[in-house]
Amino acid sequence: MKYSIIKSITLFLASIALLWSSFSFAGGTQYDMRVDGLACPFCAYGIEKKFTKTEGVESVDVDLQKGLVIVKTNESKTFKEDELKTIIHDSGFTMKSVTEKAR
Amino acid sequence: MKFWRHTGIKYGCVTGGLSALLLAVSSNIQAAPITFNTALPVAKEEFLFRQQFIVMQSGEDPSGTQRDRTETISATALVYGVNNKLALFGILPYRDIDLSMNVGAGTVSRSNASLGDVSAFARYIFRQKNEAGKTLRLAAFAGIKAPTGEDQASDSLGTLPPPLQTGTGSWDVFGGLVVTRQTLDYQLDAQLSVRINNAANNFEVGDVLQIDASLQKRIWPRELGSGVPGFVYAVLEANVSTQQKNTINGTDDANSGGTRVLLAPGLQYVTRRWIAEAALQFPVRQNLNGTALELDTIARAGVRFNF
Repeated sequence: MKYSIIKSITLFLASIALLWSSFSFAGGTQYDMRVDGLACPFCAYGIEKKFTKTEGVESVDVDLQKGLVIVKTNESKTFKEDELKTIIHDSGFTMKSVTEKAR
Repeated sequence: MKFWRHTGIKYGCVTGGLSALLLAVSSNIQAAPITFNTALPVAKEEFLFRQQFIVMQSGEDPSGTQRDRTETISATALVYGVNNKLALFGILPYRDIDLSMNVGAGTVSRSNASLGDVSAFARYIFRQKNEAGKTLRLAAFAGIKAPTGEDQASDSLGTLPPPLQTGTGSWDVFGGLVVTRQTLDYQLDAQLSVRINNAANNFEVGDVLQIDASLQKRIWPRELGSGVPGFVYAVLEANVSTQQKNTINGTDDANSGGTRVLLAPGLQYVTRRWIAEAALQFPVRQNLNGTALELDTIARAGVRFNF
């Protein structure tokens, strides 16, 4: 009986640890893009919508003052630079540079 | 027709100023002085919806017959971005018009309300320069106005005159150029447009040349923080239009056409998804031909949505 309780607790703690590790190492990528032409809130929405329609994109944040667009993806999605340029271009803007880092 | 003959004013006398007014409005609906649809960027394969309510009041009557005209317009605009350069615009107005005038024995009032003439046009951005926090766009646009409104509506007094019809009955064309300079602090738009009108029912509205300009200055937030805050813009716009005389059965109407200069202070609240805006247009100069009816004010309020 006592052995069974210890086994259950151990299994429970192991599950928690596994779950925690999956959160801690979510994978995915963050793309920080310098975008020219962003000059009003209404314009920013076009970019946000284009990215959020893309499968695997978890969040899109725009900083107007810095001309920065930050896109976070999950581990299933990666962007090539040309792909990012095309999306920004289709929204009516110009991507000047991009930096990417693992999340 | 009888109504107008009874007043001693020729049929065309009233139509002159009023049709100029109508043209100014329909042109403004395309240009959208407070919103400048023609200058608005629309992303590829995205839609934009705009609804604007307009109340136009005209009561300065040099003919002495105390004409008083009020028109309420609900203008719906839908814009689609074909790609990052080409956008398609459709504008559908619903018009409600009231006109009263002194006919000696008393005041006669007539009115009409229905869907008006639909306009559709395309805009192509042929030059765009993006910089950090700034953009410059130059575009050309061209389109048609289709006779979807009523042009033969009648009441108990007979067929309504053109100023009370919600459509002109004619297919008309228009086009122009629009330039936008936008920064995080201000936006400047300017537009030059020409409208070529055609005859219908032996009546032709004079062609119109129009220049619109709009300055939008961000007044809140004063200092930009991070993210995408809502903006409040103070707006000042100017509209200059000159219209040729109308023709009735091929003859110029001496009491139609002329030049108007309007100013419009306004406010805009701009967020990522929607814009609310309002402006009051008033004439600073009206140099109209003959006894064309003068404009008092145009009040505008509306919203735009990205979706």
